[in-house]
Order: sequence, then structure tokens, then C-alpha cells
Amino acid sequence: MDAAGERRQGAAAATFLAPATLVVMVMLMAPLLLLLRFSLNRYDRTELMIETVTGANYLRFFSDPFYIGVMRTTLAVAALSTLLCLLLGLPLAYRLARMQSRWKTACMLGIVLPLFIGSTVRMVGWMILFAHGGVIDAVARWFNGRGMEVMYTSFAVIAGIVSINLPFVVLTIQSTIETIDTRLEEAAGSLGAPPARMFWRIVWPLALPGTATAGILCFILAMNAYATPYLLGGPRFQMMAPLLYWEFSTNNNWPFASALALLLMTTTLLMTACANWIIPARYRA
Amino acid sequence: MSRLSLDRLEKRYGDTVAVGSVSLDIAEGELVVLLGPSGCGKTTTLRMVAGFIDATAGDVRLDGASILALPPHRREMGLVFQSYALFPHLTVARNIAFGLEMRGTPRPARDARVAEMLRLTRLESLADRLPRNLSGGQQQRVALARALAINPRVLLLDEPLSNLDAALRADVGRDIRLLQRASGLTTIMVTHDQDEAMAMADRLVVMKDGFVQQTGTQEEVYERPATPFVAGFIGRANMLGGALSDGIFAVEDTTLHLAGRYAATGPATLALRPERLSLGPPGPAVPGSVAGTVELASYLGAIREHLVRIGPDRRIVVRDATAGPARLHHAGESVAVRWGVDAERLFDAAEMPLMDLNPPGWSVKPGHSRLDAIQQQQ
Repeated sequence: MDAAGERRQGAAAATFLAPATLVVMVMLMAPLLLLLRFSLNRYDRTELMIETVTGANYLRFFSDPFYIGVMRTTLAVAALSTLLCLLLGLPLAYRLARMQSRWKTACMLGIVLPLFIGSTVRMVGWMILFAHGGVIDAVARWFNGRGMEVMYTSFAVIAGIVSINLPFVVLTIQSTIETIDTRLEEAAGSLGAPPARMFWRIVWPLALPGTATAGILCFILAMNAYATPYLLGGPRFQMMAPLLYWEFSTNNNWPFASALALLLMTTTLLMTACANWIIPARYRA
Repeated sequence: MSRLSLDRLEKRYGDTVAVGSVSLDIAEGELVVLLGPSGCGKTTTLRMVAGFIDATAGDVRLDGASILALPPHRREMGLVFQSYALFPHLTVARNIAFGLEMRGTPRPARDARVAEMLRLTRLESLADRLPRNLSGGQQQRVALARALAINPRVLLLDEPLSNLDAALRADVGRDIRLLQRASGLTTIMVTHDQDEAMAMADRLVVMKDGFVQQTGTQEEVYERPATPFVAGFIGRANMLGGALSDGIFAVEDTTLHLAGRYAATGPATLALRPERLSLGPPGPAVPGSVAGTVELASYLGAIREHLVRIGPDRRIVVRDATAGPARLHHAGESVAVRWGVDAERLFDAAEMPLMDLNPPGWSVKPGHSRLDAIQQQQ
């Protein structure tokens, strides 16, 4: 094709893409720009938001150990639940991908079914299990006479996040493993690789792109988790999303809430970029 | 180098028999081809030998010792897959080195062996490429090199040529055969392509519906097929179902005069090799002949092919070399199809072959001396 033809085709493509691009720009970029603008404003108890340009909100975040601590907790919880999701999800996804019997459909359904129930409703289930006087507490009391406090601990929050994210992780990894020819595993076997080494040398590297995608997905979801830390973490266990909502709705401090939102987003994006950068180029999806 | 024997090896899935009682002894350095249409159990048999499928009954012995209890990774078999199954994330050299790494071969020995395999399969210049950047033929050679690198006790080839261009197939087949010969490897190959099988095998095992139909050399299965299926599957054959009585084979209202003498009478199947039939002017009903009309005549380069109608709805194919003296007949011409004993094979109702009662050598090549003698008398 000559240069003019290419240009013509480019122009045609641009024409067709323009409306969709415009919608995305308006729907996605506008709120973000608004957020950025708000985060530079000043908060006043009586007037709420005063238009100005100041970095005070960001300064407040970085200079107050409380907020840094909340960010650190959020990162730790997200990282830990991502790790757990991958550790639990990988073997599950592998088994599922390699299943051939009619049980596969049933098992797939078992993985997908929790997604039909809203995460808040599922959290209530966990609350019944974890709460003071709840199932775990009652059983523990029956054994040791003292009971066991699980509610409002980091364990409860991580368990809740893992339970919500696991189906996404399993489905993402499983679809990648499905694309790995079982003959590769057989070939590795015939060349003398026992199952564990075969998995490590063949399945793991080939499943890495999907696993990384699943991990990133899980991490983003965990970083932004709201209902889980709010319901299972309680008032003492602070994570970013509930905190910024509290600043926004209860304190009516929109400038600071905007700054928190942008900081949370930036951190998440930075971590995701790092994860993508760590994965060797030839494995990237 | 090892002796491999399958002893009444069997695989059932519920009530369906995938492989029924296959027994086979493979000598050191022998290449045996399992040949049959898809679903005949040949691949299942191979996979049982490799250890990917558990046998329902029977045994697989390597140098006399049963290997059925061993998992695949301890059977020391070199396997070449139909799809090659090269590790897509490893270079050619790393693919070939994989089996050696699994065996813990020290680095220098491993590198030397990989270099040797690369040289043997003429892949030296491609050592650092990834499999997806190779042509089909090159991928095939990598798969072979990878399987041979571990010095396997048995080489298993699963349809190794079926993913190659027709033009490449014969060359690659010869390469594999030469490598196999040179390394003296006991080999089982599975294929559905009889030309491939004929070209590469020391011995053929023809299978159908999970059972072995015939085991033998190319000449044995071609000249003396044990069942009508083998007659039709190895080479080509005109298969006719009819009734046998006293040298006459009747297919509805068509009468074929058989070249051989048979003791049996009753329903039977006649297989006639098209390339051993010849066409001549219509004549008397001598042994080894049937009258017909040419319906189609094609000149195919090396051979001529005639489709001859011998009954209301009954046709046979006659093929002869264009190098011979015969000419291409016209459609509509009346002819006599003639043949000798070696062109025909009769099977009784139980699909058992019927033996020609004539002393061997009594009848010579198709449609010659005996036929000519009779014609000259007239």
C-alpha cells in the first residue's frame, strides 16, 4: 500500500474510533481531572471547599504517620491476599484446566457461583462466621473455654478479600493453562521429568503471563477493596478505600479525599507497572 | 538398544475395546509400524507403551522386564509427537538439552551431546531460535533430536510425518529411517498412511477396531493379505462380494473366471489388485478373466487407469504402466480384463483367505503364457 492509501485508511479508522474515544475521554478522564483539581483545593470547616492551588493535602498525607501507615497496611493486605490467591488459585486452576470428566462443568460452576452473590452479602456470611459469638468463636469456646476473636483482625480482612478475588484468579489462570498443549507435559514426562519438575519447567513458565494478569487483577481489586475492610476490619483496621470514603462523606473534606484517591490510584498503577516490568519479556502476554 | 515385547496388551473403556489383546515382539533395532485407520487403537497402543495410558490387561516388557508399573518419566522412551510438542519457551538447543538436564547430565557432556544432535539433524545454525520461528520440517527434526538426545531404549514415533508437506514427507521419512538405522534404535511408529508405512517399516502391524489384522513384512501383507480389510488397506484392491463355485466367481449376474483353483464353495470376497490386471480384446472365458466395457480411461503419467464396467452396477479399476506396450482404450470399448493368480485373493465368509490349489509356479505372471497359449490354440 502506498503512503497516501495508508493515510486514507488511517483517517477512516480515526473517524470510526472517534466517538468511542470521545466517550471514554469524557467518562474516564473528566472525573480524574476533576479529582486532580479538587485535590489542589483547600478545605474549610464552614465553607468546605475553597478554590486555590496548594499541595497541602499531599503534604498532609506524607507528613502524617497515620496516613502513611494506612497506605502501608493497604499495600501489605493487597500483597498478602494476592500471594494467597495465587498460591491457592494456581493448583486449583491447573486441576480444573486438566479435568476432562463431566465433573469439570460442576467444578467450574462451583468457582463461578460465588460471583452471583454480591460481595457485601458474602461478607455478612463471613461476619456470622467470625463475629464475637459467631461460629468460629463458639466452636473455639467449646474447645478451649475462652473463644477466639477473629473479627476485626487482618486475618479476617485477608480471608474476605481472598474469598472474593479467588474466582477471578482461578478463571484467569485456568484459561491460560487450557491453551498449554497437554502433549508438552507428556513430552516432558517422556524426557524424564517427574510431575513436579515438569510443572515447574514447562507449565509454570508458560502459564506466567496469565498468572501475572491474575495477580495484577487481584492486587488492584484488593488495593481498592471497600466493603471487606469496612465490614470485617472494623473501625480500628484502616485501609485506603474506607478511609477516603470517610473523609469524603463524613468529614466532607473533598480536597483531601481527592488527594487520597489519586495517591491510591498512583500507587496501584506504580505497583502494577513494577510487576509487569519484573516478568521477563518473552513471557509477557 | 532393547527388545520390546507386548504381551496380550489390552485397553478397555467400560464395554468398548480400544485395544484388544495385541501381542508383538520387536527385535533390537527393528522398526515396526502400527498401521490402521483412525480409531483402530494404534495410538492407544503406543501411548500404553509410553506410559500415558494404563493398560487394562497384558504386559509390556523391555528386555524381558515388565515396565507397566513405571511412570512415563522412568521408561526411557524417546517420543516424537505428531504435533512435535516442542517447548515453545525454550530455544532449539534448550529443547534438545531438556531430557539431559532431567537426567542430571553434567554441563560439558550435555553441551557435547546437544552439539552432536544438532549436527546430526543439520540444525546447527538454528540452535538459538525459538520453535515458533522454525518451519514444519525443522520443528520435526528438533523433535527427533530431542527424543534421540537421551539415548532412549525405545523410540516411539506418533504419526511423525503427517504434519509435513507431501513433498517433504518422503525425504524426512528417509532421514528418520537412516538416523534410526545408524543408532540401531528399537522403534515403534504409528501411522494411518500406508505409503509412509511401506517405505519405513521393517515389519508392519495392520490394525482395525483395536485388533491386529496381520503382522508381517511389506511383501507378506501386500501379496498375502490375511483379511479383506488388509487387502483393501494395503495397496489398492477391487473388492467384490459374490459366490464361489468351481473356478467361477459370481457377482449377481456377472461371472468372473478365477485364475486359481479353490476347494471351497459358497459366499466369498474377491480382491483384485488393479495394477496386476491387464486389458485385452474380448475373448473366450479363460481362467483369470472377465468381460467388460471401458467406462473411463485416464492417462496419469506413469500409469494408465481404466474403469471397466463388468456388470450392471459393478466396476473394477485396472491400472498399468504407460511404459508397457498396451494402449489407452476408448470409453465404450468392449474388453476382457485378465489376470494371473498373484492378482487375486479370495476370502471366505469368515474372512479367512482361501488357498490356491494349483502347485506354485504353475501359473506364471498375469495374463501371459498360460493365457497366450490358450489364445494361440484358437
